[in-house]
Amino acid sequence: MKWARIMAIAFLLVVSAASLLANFVAPASYAHQFRDVPDAAPSRQHLLGTDDLGRDRFSRVLYGTRVSLLLAPAAALLASVLAALVGGIAGFVGGWVERCVMAATDLFLSLPWLFLLITVRALLPLNVSPVTSVVITFALLGCLGWAGAARVVCADARALSQSDFVLLARASGSAGIRLLWHHLVPNLKPVLYAQFWISVPVFMIAEANLGILGLGVAEPLPSWGSLLRELESFSTISGQPWQFVPLILLIVVVSSFHLVLTQEELPV
Amino acid sequence: MDALLSLRVSGGYSGKPGVMRDLALELREREILGLVGQSGCGKSTLALAILKLLHLKGGKVEGSIRLKGRELMALGEREMRALRGSEIGLVLQSPMSSLNPALRIGTQLEEAWRVHRRGTHEECRRALLERLENVSLPAEPGFLKRYPSQLSVGQAQRVLIAMAVLHRPALLIADEPTSALDLITQSEILQLFASVRRQFGMTILYISHDLLSVATISDRMAVMHQGEIVECRPTAEIFREPAHPYTQELIRALPVVPQLAAAAGK
Amino acid sequence: MRQRWVRIVLLILAVLSTGIALAQSGGELRFCLRSDPKTFNPLLMADDASETVRYLTGGVLMRLNRLTQEAEPELATSWKVSDGGKTITLKLRDGVRFSDGTPLSSDDVAYTVQQLMDPALHSPTGDAFRSGEGRVITRVLGKNRITITFPAPIAGLDKLFDQVAIMSAKSPQKEMAVLGPYYVAENKAGAYLILKRNPNYWKHDSSGRQLPYIDSVRLEIQQNRDIETLRLERGEIDFINSIDAEYYDKVMAQNPAMAHDAGISLDAEFMWFNQVPTSPLPAYKKAWFTSTNFRRAISEAINREDLVRIAFRGRAHPAAGPVSPGNKFWFNSKLQPHPFDQKSALQRLAQDGFHLQDGVLHDRDGHMVEFSIVTNAGNKYRERMATMIQQDLSGIGIKLNVVTLDFPSLIERMTRTFDYEACLLGLVNTDLDPNSQMNVWLSSSDNHQWNPSQKTPATAWEAEIDKLMRAQASALDAKQRKQYFDQVQEIAWEQEPFIYLVNKDALSAVSPSVRNVHPVVLRPQVYWNIDELSLGSEVARNK
Repeated sequence: MKWARIMAIAFLLVVSAASLLANFVAPASYAHQFRDVPDAAPSRQHLLGTDDLGRDRFSRVLYGTRVSLLLAPAAALLASVLAALVGGIAGFVGGWVERCVMAATDLFLSLPWLFLLITVRALLPLNVSPVTSVVITFALLGCLGWAGAARVVCADARALSQSDFVLLARASGSAGIRLLWHHLVPNLKPVLYAQFWISVPVFMIAEANLGILGLGVAEPLPSWGSLLRELESFSTISGQPWQFVPLILLIVVVSSFHLVLTQEELPV
Repeated sequence: MDALLSLRVSGGYSGKPGVMRDLALELREREILGLVGQSGCGKSTLALAILKLLHLKGGKVEGSIRLKGRELMALGEREMRALRGSEIGLVLQSPMSSLNPALRIGTQLEEAWRVHRRGTHEECRRALLERLENVSLPAEPGFLKRYPSQLSVGQAQRVLIAMAVLHRPALLIADEPTSALDLITQSEILQLFASVRRQFGMTILYISHDLLSVATISDRMAVMHQGEIVECRPTAEIFREPAHPYTQELIRALPVVPQLAAAAGK
Repeated sequence: MRQRWVRIVLLILAVLSTGIALAQSGGELRFCLRSDPKTFNPLLMADDASETVRYLTGGVLMRLNRLTQEAEPELATSWKVSDGGKTITLKLRDGVRFSDGTPLSSDDVAYTVQQLMDPALHSPTGDAFRSGEGRVITRVLGKNRITITFPAPIAGLDKLFDQVAIMSAKSPQKEMAVLGPYYVAENKAGAYLILKRNPNYWKHDSSGRQLPYIDSVRLEIQQNRDIETLRLERGEIDFINSIDAEYYDKVMAQNPAMAHDAGISLDAEFMWFNQVPTSPLPAYKKAWFTSTNFRRAISEAINREDLVRIAFRGRAHPAAGPVSPGNKFWFNSKLQPHPFDQKSALQRLAQDGFHLQDGVLHDRDGHMVEFSIVTNAGNKYRERMATMIQQDLSGIGIKLNVVTLDFPSLIERMTRTFDYEACLLGLVNTDLDPNSQMNVWLSSSDNHQWNPSQKTPATAWEAEIDKLMRAQASALDAKQRKQYFDQVQEIAWEQEPFIYLVNKDALSAVSPSVRNVHPVVLRPQVYWNIDELSLGSEVARNK
């Protein structure tokens, strides 16, 4: 597995460097439409061809990677922290607090999110820059994506808070936030990691889907989500395999992260 | 000798009241008191009651618990928290589940130290290594880096004892500390308790259903039956002439080991 | 001798297989409906699926020829409009029978018209005839003659009868007794409908054979468009009435014989600025949007040729005005699409005090020119157009923010809160007559999108349009009406309350096994001449 990890690290480094340095690496602006060559095949000018409006796909992949690679994990982190707080405290305190919080979480889960998101979008001002719009989108995803994870965390936290080592920690004078932070959170780590890594691709896809509803990244800014939307009309892309590059990139990046982090951070 | 701890309590759980019925017990300075009784008779309840942690298991207690003349029942949670770990230490039955599997030994010990002390990393490190030495564990930084899963059961119990005596508490409550151990480890741990008492001059409430280990270690012995202490006298005396019928039954049930039988017959 | 026979047989086979000389009878035509028809009462039909069934089963007094866009006699052999457009006198065809054998008489026409105009029935088809208060009067003048008098004059009266399927007053089968080429033989809700040829259909081809050629029509209920295209590719259905440019290209690449481009359709894509005085926009933006110069400049800064070429894959045409050239009679042929001309655009803007500053356009008071355009989410073509317009406008220093919204919130903003700046939408036109556009052009109308429900016209040119639209509606002479409506088109071209961008082409995909197909821009594009369609041999079908 060692070489696989090294490969993964190297790959992630290259991808992050390329996307962070997109301004220098990208051969063209992500927004510029080369209107003479829409839907072009890969060529020397356009390494991955152009999209339906003639925009250089390679440049869009670079910039899109930057957007998604920064924001999807940030949103996943936000969701995981919220899940840890809500689930952790509920499971730790137990009793009526837990019952109330979990009932609220269930209610939260059962809300029709799509409509809520649409309402939120309808409430936003129309003249927001694409960057603001993408940040808002991911922040919303983060704020809304915690409930499922919170349930899992809560169940874990409850089991943990009844364990001998927590009793012993209390018996040695530890309590409250200190106990939660030093004794429970380290044990919740695996489940939080799992939730985090589940959320990252889920949020990326969610962002793509929101784009269809008009809530995602605003044109002309690219994201993996908007790049993946090219694959929607499956019947017309069969002749253009290079359109799959964003999808492959997404898969490889997520699995690389997984490979790197699971080996390092989780106690066996 | 002054009484370090004297208590008179009643209490139990909502589904199971009367686990302790006006139970009276007194522990003297520097003694090891063995508390025996059937499994499930309420010995552990008493241990938690002394620490005022019984509510965690859904239990309630009333009466009086005096430690060094201070009435614990009158103390608030914050004051109790200051006492736990610093004045009263606790060792539990299963060493493996008592250690946090996600934390390194060093981290757990350090956390227990920092609950009651402020100090530099160095001071903390020194204190920890000293305690490791006290409990005959390798006093080296490498050991502190281990996870509980990398220890043997005996080592784990020593770590827990080290943690319990970290702040030199006046009272150490050991709740069935040897029942999960094999015989050889058991005797090692028993010796360790004796040595800990010698080194720190502390009082130990040694709770066990195992008469033999109690006989080995304790100065005095209290027999708990149906929520009460039915007999509390020097250990040798009780073994020689048990007064209460329940105590007699307990001693009769002991497997006959020639030496003890001979001692009893004197 | 024998060789000669073989040669003759081969010759006949060749003729047969080309399908030119002989139309073949029989077979089943299959295509998809998006949903179940909501009703079989032809007067109550408003949804697409019901209208398809009505077209295939209903017999009408006169039919709008989809190719020539002229009304042609069907059940009525002749008619005369009199009394200033209030009255129509019809002569019915002899010997026509309903599908159940009941003979057609003028009583049936009277019954149908009375039903159509019955206020209690709320017939959507009848709406077009309700030009004024009052009752309709039908006078049966004989078995085959009838006079109908409407309460008020109706412009373009005869063509409206294209939508009115005549029902039987006496048939025990009620609305299921029909006069069209087919009748509904089987209806499996949610799955399919089977229409069988009407044995009593009156129409015959030039050689005297009874029409239609095809025995039955199977209508599959299929919501999903992807599956529909898949089924066409597998040969499970025979055509798709309307396809998008992407799929058209794909069909074209795989099997050019299947792809049909009927030319410019009536549908238009356009954008407009919010000119509602009570909208929550800042005053300086309202000033921009109500300025003709500003709107004309935006219009000229948009490269319509590029929109056509890239967003629509060339399957559209730059639009000039409210009427598509696909509408042969009403289109004002003097109008040309606004050309792409950034220089002219900047000049127009300069007239209003706009100026470029470091490549960014500012208005007279120094406000940076930035606005948003909303469009409905999920429409690939509109999203593409919006993104292209974004780049076009950046060419004259304008920052455009593209916002895609779900339809309900879009409508909410358009019609209630007026909280939007510009909007990009399309219009599906099904009706050729300008009367159908009254509700858009009258300044008092709710659908006068850029500034709806005005008490008095906000501008002189809107007042002029109001006047002209009313004039054309009350004029009866078609030429006179056309003159008025031409003027409306010219004002719209000049003022650009709607900035018309493109007219899409009417695209369809038809299996080569269907013969005599001539798709047109009007609905129903592919099967408007259902009577005359026929199916090729199985060999041809499997090709």
